[in-house]
Amino acid sequence: MIYREMGKVISNEEIAEGIYKTVFISPNISSSSMPGQFVNILPSLDWRNVMRRPMSIASQGNDEISIIYKSVGEGTRIMANWAIGEKVDLIGPLGNYWEGYKSSFPIIVGGGVGIAPILNLHDVLLEKKIDHCLIMGARHSGEHFFPHEPQNKVFLSTDDGSLGIKGNVVDILKSIYPIGKHSQNTKIFSCGPPMMMDEVRNYSNENKLDCDLALETIMACGFGICQGCTVERKAETNGVHSYRNRFALACLDGPIFNAEEIISCV
Amino acid sequence: MRVKLKDIEFSSPILTASGTYGYGHEVRDMADVNQWGGIITKSVTRHPREGNPPPRIAETRSGMINSIGLANLGVEKYCNEIIPSLNELQTKVIINIAGSAMKDYLETMEMLESKNGKHVGYEINISCPNVKEGGIEFGVNCEMTEQLTIEMRKRTDKLLIMKLSPNVTRIEDIAQAAESGGADAVSAINTVVGMAIDVKTRRPKLNTAFGGLSGPAIKPIAIANVHKVFKAVNIPIIGIGGIATAKDVVEFLLAGATMVQIGTMNYQNPNLGIQLKGELSEYYSQNEIEKTEDLIGKVEYHSN
Repeated sequence: MIYREMGKVISNEEIAEGIYKTVFISPNISSSSMPGQFVNILPSLDWRNVMRRPMSIASQGNDEISIIYKSVGEGTRIMANWAIGEKVDLIGPLGNYWEGYKSSFPIIVGGGVGIAPILNLHDVLLEKKIDHCLIMGARHSGEHFFPHEPQNKVFLSTDDGSLGIKGNVVDILKSIYPIGKHSQNTKIFSCGPPMMMDEVRNYSNENKLDCDLALETIMACGFGICQGCTVERKAETNGVHSYRNRFALACLDGPIFNAEEIISCV
Repeated sequence: MRVKLKDIEFSSPILTASGTYGYGHEVRDMADVNQWGGIITKSVTRHPREGNPPPRIAETRSGMINSIGLANLGVEKYCNEIIPSLNELQTKVIINIAGSAMKDYLETMEMLESKNGKHVGYEINISCPNVKEGGIEFGVNCEMTEQLTIEMRKRTDKLLIMKLSPNVTRIEDIAQAAESGGADAVSAINTVVGMAIDVKTRRPKLNTAFGGLSGPAIKPIAIANVHKVFKAVNIPIIGIGGIATAKDVVEFLLAGATMVQIGTMNYQNPNLGIQLKGELSEYYSQNEIEKTEDLIGKVEYHSN
């Protein structure tokens, strides 16, 4: 079931440099969403552009959902200024969700704008007491909003070394899991900038690890009618709909794809 | 609010534009699809098409450009998988057909005709700007438009609507060709050729470089084209292009449209057509308009 619901903003805060977290009361979407799914948001009721803004859900439960986003463009700047009590037009939950984490040792890797679905999965794994490793990348310490805790298998990287390990998320992967040192049931779950995910994908490939990636594409509707949010899959992939075998839709067939299934993350 | 095209009565003059509402059932959680005047389905072609490579869409000011490339499962699967679900809809269904050669258009229609679907008509896409095979060769040529219309007319008694492109020198000539070929109505406009470039990478924002611009950005172009066609033909016009409000609908009616289609704004609000039906009815009562016909083509020119 897809709901269109007016979410009521109950908090909207800058949690790190340029990064905002908004919590909505949105009972229907909250009770029906799974980690990895997204909502398609109308930034304001007098929004003059035509496209909504798709945002991964960072948490769900107790009638609430949250999103985490960088204020970078026209839509997200409006969002960063939402007042408490404001009603926001939401469509969701949309897309597929993280799977295969119960029977694996999950290494979950996020960076940049890909924080929300990774944190959502992290929380679920904590709740279900599933042992896992969280790796989060940023350019510098100002963009992180929780501590580097290697003892709890929470690793942060920064490009400039101002917090955690200097380098990117794949540098962390390589330093804590040298080639061949993975337990057999390790599975990687990742979301972040396309370049980062391509590196994570290469790493998984080299280490023969199962890997799921949550991709970000440009998107209009979010529910399969505009057919704009295309992701190119390897031709032999068998889909349900013949005409979506090669050009899958991020909104229906994704946003989560297996690393082996797609041509690239860009 | 009721309006007739030939002998078919629609509960409201508001239809979905092809390619912007799937086959209706995709949005059933969010909208009572049967409240639309009718559903015009995404283009079907003779053979399956996987469509164009990404990126296929880009946002521009008050609009978007797309180059989907008529991705669809082809008429054979359409007959087996889509028609049964279309038959369950309580509203009127019009099937949109695209093609490249005359033979493709005709075979597609023949297969659909043989199916005993509940659909009331066909809209013929002779104006897709994004693929060579999208029929645009027909849509820019009067003789080809007339020939295609004649051949399709021979094959169906259902509503026959030719969808016109604004990317021509004189849209009124193409409209007349459709009329003399036997079309029951024309719809106008399909998207306007557009392009956007990422200044950082210097790459076009669409894989195919050129695409079709739609949304409120094209409404004035659409109004002008509808009005030109209105002055040139006697068959009804279905106006399309950037409708977002009830006033937009009235503007199209005044320009000469008998019905309208809502397209791009469905992506933002899948309930828009139903909402506008209510607002339009309020507009009618506030302005003492008894029926839609009282507005059609009633634009009043400046007298000087």
